[in-house]
Amino acid sequence: MSVLLPHILNGITVGLLFALIALGFTLIVGLMEVINLAHGALFALGAYFAVSVIGGGWLADTAFGAWWLGLPLSARYIAALILGPLAAAVVGLAIELCLRPTYGKAPLYGLLLTFGISLVAEELIRIVWGTGEQSLSVPQSINGAFIMGGMIFSKYKFFASGFAIAAIFLVWLLLERTPYGAIIKAGAHDSEMVHALGFDLGKLRMGVFAFGAALAGLAGIIMVPIWGLKPHIGIDVVIPAFLIIVIGGVGSFWGAVFAALLVGLAVGVTGAYVPAWSLMSMYILLIAIVGFGSRGLFGRKSALEV
Amino acid sequence: MLGRQIETVHLDTETTPATGSRVAERMITREDCGFLIGAVSSGVANAVSQGAQRYGVIYLNTNSSSPSESGENCHRVKFVWDGNGTNFAKAAVKNAVDAYGKKWLLLTNDYGWGHDTANATRALMAQYGAEEVQEILVPQGTPDFAAALLSIQQANPDVISAAIGGDDQVAMRQQVAQLGMGAKPAWINNQQDWPDVYGLPIENLFGVFGTTWYWNLELPGVKEFVARYQAMYPDTSMRVPGNVFYNGYMATKGLLEAIEAAGTSNNIAVIKQLEGYKRSAEERMQHHDAYMDPVTHQLQQTIYLATANTEAGDNKDDMFKILTQSAPDVVKDESAAKACVLESYDDTPTFDA
Repeated sequence: MSVLLPHILNGITVGLLFALIALGFTLIVGLMEVINLAHGALFALGAYFAVSVIGGGWLADTAFGAWWLGLPLSARYIAALILGPLAAAVVGLAIELCLRPTYGKAPLYGLLLTFGISLVAEELIRIVWGTGEQSLSVPQSINGAFIMGGMIFSKYKFFASGFAIAAIFLVWLLLERTPYGAIIKAGAHDSEMVHALGFDLGKLRMGVFAFGAALAGLAGIIMVPIWGLKPHIGIDVVIPAFLIIVIGGVGSFWGAVFAALLVGLAVGVTGAYVPAWSLMSMYILLIAIVGFGSRGLFGRKSALEV
Repeated sequence: MLGRQIETVHLDTETTPATGSRVAERMITREDCGFLIGAVSSGVANAVSQGAQRYGVIYLNTNSSSPSESGENCHRVKFVWDGNGTNFAKAAVKNAVDAYGKKWLLLTNDYGWGHDTANATRALMAQYGAEEVQEILVPQGTPDFAAALLSIQQANPDVISAAIGGDDQVAMRQQVAQLGMGAKPAWINNQQDWPDVYGLPIENLFGVFGTTWYWNLELPGVKEFVARYQAMYPDTSMRVPGNVFYNGYMATKGLLEAIEAAGTSNNIAVIKQLEGYKRSAEERMQHHDAYMDPVTHQLQQTIYLATANTEAGDNKDDMFKILTQSAPDVVKDESAAKACVLESYDDTPTFDA
């Protein structure tokens, strides 16, 4: 058991990080019933914007850039955590505008459009930031290692897991304890009724999409110090995110969180004993769960079902 | 070349053998390419070379280092211009057993190159008395190495021999550096491609690794080569060339010289010229003369072992500290010759490119 415990702990941290990745994706699917395949691109854009914020970007050689780079890394990192998701949200708004003609039509249109956007975004990233690997600096206080139970663990990974818990809690708070959250949930349940009650569905969708995009960008900033940053990192993200919402049930917030933890544990524990199967384990989990119930663990019927 | 304009076509193999095969087919049948040059993964190179052999099109493999490329997957039309896993393992294993200890753990990317390299290392471990405590297989495309690194801590080896390539290696380096595990156990990382580490923090470049060339070698011609690169590519983010660029340059140069020497673009005539390729150390900007092995079609060249240069100061490009350089015959992959069966000239379609 003592051999397994560190791997279970690792699995839980991996699961929390997967939950962070899947949060924005599940919000958009839940309300708008759009499978946003550009989620990975938003993840990447958030991270790339953060790299530019921390490193000074295009202003690095100016007087402002010199002043900015003189600030402590922790200050610039906090700024990146705010500005990166904001930038991703702006891009999300633009994507939502492009998606409007597809509302009410077959889900395939939205899926194809967002897939195309993801390809364009990846090429834009190559043009703007280059094709090489980049790294995102983090403050020393959350970097490095610590020893627990005779094993070395990454400080940053535990910070990232804690951040994921905080993000999950805040999103839950928004959805369950605010009027805006109530409107979002009502819109996911019956968008026509929400519209009939006088709420601006267009603004609601814009807001949710921007929020989902911001969460994707935030996930990118948090994950990249672990995964590295390259232009095609989006594809490493969108597949697990999609898989998690299917396992958890399309549109279910807690389903996505629970599914992410399951996936994390599957990947973590198989990594200990049959590592060659660690990436495959999430697909085996998908087959096992969807094989018993096609709507996943907590899913409900959605407009995506034909 | 021979009074004819050289035209180039570029296509992306997407690091996928199926795409590589399709792309090679298209280049040959629709773009009328007479020669293929590619710095691709070993799986892709194998797929490309099978198609190339069907048409007799010469293919220069400039950057995949699976021993099988010049072993069981060799072809009459294919020439490998990179060192392979066996070359680098031969340069590293004996020294590492003596210096660090006999308990070895193999960390292996779960695909062709990884397995071939691990097998080559295993054979050398047996030869020098090392014991394999565990092998951890890591699927290609693994972003998170936490489980593997926990297992490594639990196994407590003296040495980790890592056959992890491409993006996976970048992620692994980042995560090992975060845990501070780069110093102990000792890491033997096989070949390190320059584009995969250029610009990364120096602490990510732990352990000992191999390369075929370095931009800061104190050898004749190197400084001028680097200066010409910088003049030709002033806007590139990679301010100095690395092994991948070097291999591609040398391969292309060798091909053009072979065509010129043959006096024809007939593929068989050019193949025969390439099989006789010999260049001095000075021409190669390496420590030893290089030659093409006509039996396996792998270039035999100097193999360097390096580690991170922690004393580079402000020169962020000077990332490597060269530890040793091995002559080609010392690190030659002897098993490749036994496994390689080149198609005969008669069995290779002939044409004028």
